[in-house]
Amino acid sequence: MHMADALLSPAVGGAMWAVTAGLTAYSAKKLKEIPDDSRVPLMGVLGAFVFAAQMINFSIPATGSSGHLGGGMILAILLGPHAAFLTLASVLVVQALFFADGGLLALGCNIFNMAFFPCFIAYPFIYRKIAGRYATAKTISVAATVSAVIGLQLGAFSVVLETMASGISALPFNAFVLLMQPIHLAIGLVEGVVTAAVVLFVWQARPEVLAMAEENAPMRGFSMKKVLAGLAAAALVTGGALSWFASTYPDGLEWSMAKTSGSEELPAPEGGIHAALAGIQEKTAFLPDYGFRASEPEKSAGTEAETPKPETPAAWPNPDAGTSVSGLVGGAMTLVLAAAIGMFLRRTSAARR
Amino acid sequence: MEALAGASGDALGSSPVHRLDPRAKCVVTVLFVVAVTSFGRYDVSRLMPFVLYPVAIATLSGVSAGSVAARTLAAAPFILLVGLFNPFFDRQVIVRIGGLAVTGGWMSFLSIAVRSFLAVSAAVLLVLTTRFDLLCAGLRKMCLPRVFVTQLEFLHRYIGLLAGEAQRMVRAHDLRSNGNRPKLALVVYAPMIGLLLLRALDRATRVHRAMKARLFDGEIRVLRPLAFSRSDFLFILAWGGYFLVCRFADVPGLLSGLAGVR
Amino acid sequence: MSHHYLEVRDLRYAYPDGTEALKGVSFRLEHGEAVGLVGANGAGKSTMMLALTGLIFASGGTIDVGGTLLSKKTVGEVRRRIGFVFQDSEDQLFMPTVFDDVAFGPLNQGLSEPEVRERVTDALTRVGAERLADRPTYRLSGGEKRAVAIATVLAMLPDVLIMDEPGSGLDPYGRRLLIGLLRDFRHTRLIATHDLDMVLDVCPRTIVLHEGRIAADGDTRTVFSDAALLERCRLEQPSGMRK
Ligand SMILES: Nc1ncnc2c1ncn2[C@@H]1O[C@H](COP(=O)(O)OP(=O)(O)OP(=O)(O)O)[C@@H](O)[C@H]1O
Ligand SMILES: [Mg+2]
Repeated sequence: MHMADALLSPAVGGAMWAVTAGLTAYSAKKLKEIPDDSRVPLMGVLGAFVFAAQMINFSIPATGSSGHLGGGMILAILLGPHAAFLTLASVLVVQALFFADGGLLALGCNIFNMAFFPCFIAYPFIYRKIAGRYATAKTISVAATVSAVIGLQLGAFSVVLETMASGISALPFNAFVLLMQPIHLAIGLVEGVVTAAVVLFVWQARPEVLAMAEENAPMRGFSMKKVLAGLAAAALVTGGALSWFASTYPDGLEWSMAKTSGSEELPAPEGGIHAALAGIQEKTAFLPDYGFRASEPEKSAGTEAETPKPETPAAWPNPDAGTSVSGLVGGAMTLVLAAAIGMFLRRTSAARR
Repeated sequence: MEALAGASGDALGSSPVHRLDPRAKCVVTVLFVVAVTSFGRYDVSRLMPFVLYPVAIATLSGVSAGSVAARTLAAAPFILLVGLFNPFFDRQVIVRIGGLAVTGGWMSFLSIAVRSFLAVSAAVLLVLTTRFDLLCAGLRKMCLPRVFVTQLEFLHRYIGLLAGEAQRMVRAHDLRSNGNRPKLALVVYAPMIGLLLLRALDRATRVHRAMKARLFDGEIRVLRPLAFSRSDFLFILAWGGYFLVCRFADVPGLLSGLAGVR
Repeated sequence: MSHHYLEVRDLRYAYPDGTEALKGVSFRLEHGEAVGLVGANGAGKSTMMLALTGLIFASGGTIDVGGTLLSKKTVGEVRRRIGFVFQDSEDQLFMPTVFDDVAFGPLNQGLSEPEVRERVTDALTRVGAERLADRPTYRLSGGEKRAVAIATVLAMLPDVLIMDEPGSGLDPYGRRLLIGLLRDFRHTRLIATHDLDMVLDVCPRTIVLHEGRIAADGDTRTVFSDAALLERCRLEQPSGMRK
């Protein structure tokens, strides 16, 4: 469920970068408080383990398809939330850089979706609550499964929110949710079962490993209140960035404004799922497509630029076919020009060699 | 693992691009990605001037366009999956080319494809032209938490090794199953992963010992002086300026205007 | 100059699971001496080397390195004096580049930048790997890895070198190079290996470890000509002596 740069707006991407940077700094600070120099190689090698494990596929019973481990919960269980968060983040950075999974702008979102939820929500509030005090094969299995499922559900929902807030995809909110959550329920169950099996394996082979991990991951400072406060702060940062972005660079969000102002509604094919979805949306919508007009003004009251401006002549979408065609031609010309410059550079640098 | 083997940050070239300070390349890459992703959802032609950046960097650094493209395409599936919904949900016709009516959905799909190609290629070029250790040195200087940069370095160091172990385990399993490659059943898979994990834990213990034997005290020290020179500054200034112009001025529009297309 | 000795008395160690790996080991290495440490799989060689550098704490006995008694307090001092080359170079080379790795020890010793650079250059030159300095560590051949691993230790200017299976994974040519190198060192050396021919070439003296105890300690040729001893300790006479 890697988010991709191409589906993100810089406002959402940047805001999630900020949130993730904050979490990284916080985790780094927490680790400093409990110095343990064996953690350095441990985190590195376990990060590499997650990578390696992701290369091995197994068959998902009764489906004919295959899956692989995500590894978030395993890391949280073995390393504790802070070290696991940094380790997962590093895995995602390397994936973004070397495997083009996600992208640089999307990195903040990806780290948040795939590392924050397992480490800071699922682990402390679910895994530890169930398996914390009396670790038995049963509690460990249940805890690992439930926390993996919930971590993935939250992550998937977060993907939907980020995509919606960015407004590059035209997928309506409800359709996207209906698409993502069930898929990730399935993925989460598989992940949960595998996590449970692997953790049990380690627990039986080396009980001390898990015991030590728990010792090194004090749960002090983990309260629901704090986490909720943190999430609220994240939402504020994102909302603030969005509204700033909306007021400064209108065209990034304009299309959604245009949509909300009704000029560009879904073509609403007769009946069928589209109509049904649109119906649901009208009742439940709270995301950009439908809700920004309502929420925007109060969020950044005081500045006057953020109210959806009436279409300015240069703005997209501009349904004037004439200019659009010339735009396309210009684009093609630019492309050719870029290629020509590239060719020229190649000549000159080859000549220099 | 080929991706890692091919571009594992030991970008050993010595082109002018390779020699730039990693910080300069990071800054320009970020500027580029932000500029590209900041366009409206239907913009396609306005993105075209940005093609110059990957083209120029690839050419100047001598990195083969093929390897950039291959890596970039690896990112395609998810993007295409989500992007492909656009044509279904957004059917407003926004351009007519001759008799062909192009809907907003198709335009935005095209836009997603183009921006994906651009954004990913920039990141790919960054790692193909920057040694990983220097990149990390740059990140350290740019005030990333040290634990995190160290973590990146260790991770990068041991990925290949553990991937190799994983591969050997799978191969051993395949050999025992008479050559036909069955998918691993969960009952085989879980202990296999468990074993891989135990080996990883042992590896971590041994590495930790090797570190302590050389007086490791919790702090990783490196000598990797980076010098931010005038050419780095110019690199940022030039590309930053170019991105700015292309973001706020309609370059393709101007061009087509010059060419007399109306 | 005769202070680079290493004296071990009645060393004992049991792993947490109860395995007694060392059951009372005593010996003394004199300054500049090269000693081979041989023994079958599981004899306790690696365990002993870990104990010598304080990486595991022995449950009994003393370790004296040039007048410093190993304890929790002196462990840093002892590690400064004993350079440990690990069996698997992948464990020893954990930094991104060869330079970083060789510089790791000297930097931890608190040396200044020019001093560190000099140490790195010297150490790499010593093992013939100076051209590898900028290479990433995981991109080296087995022989190169071994050479660099030795350089990482040399750069700390240890008095005593202990090596666990330095020849494993090397091709015959790499092995010859290694033997040449080990012979040239002037350090006090303890070399654990299954390659008895190498011991014959490098070490005038040999210690045979068997099930956590010393089964023999003496002149290499004498030890290796005791067929009954070798048989009992699951060792084989080196081909170099059968001629
Ligand atoms: N981590 C461990 N936990 C429990 N027992 C161990 C551990 N490591 C080693 N042992 C046991 O300690 C004994 C000595 O092992 P050691 O690794 O020192 O032998 P070695 O002489 O180095 O063998 P080799 O030639 O195979 O390297 C063996 O019986 C081994 O099974
Ligand atoms: Mg051994």
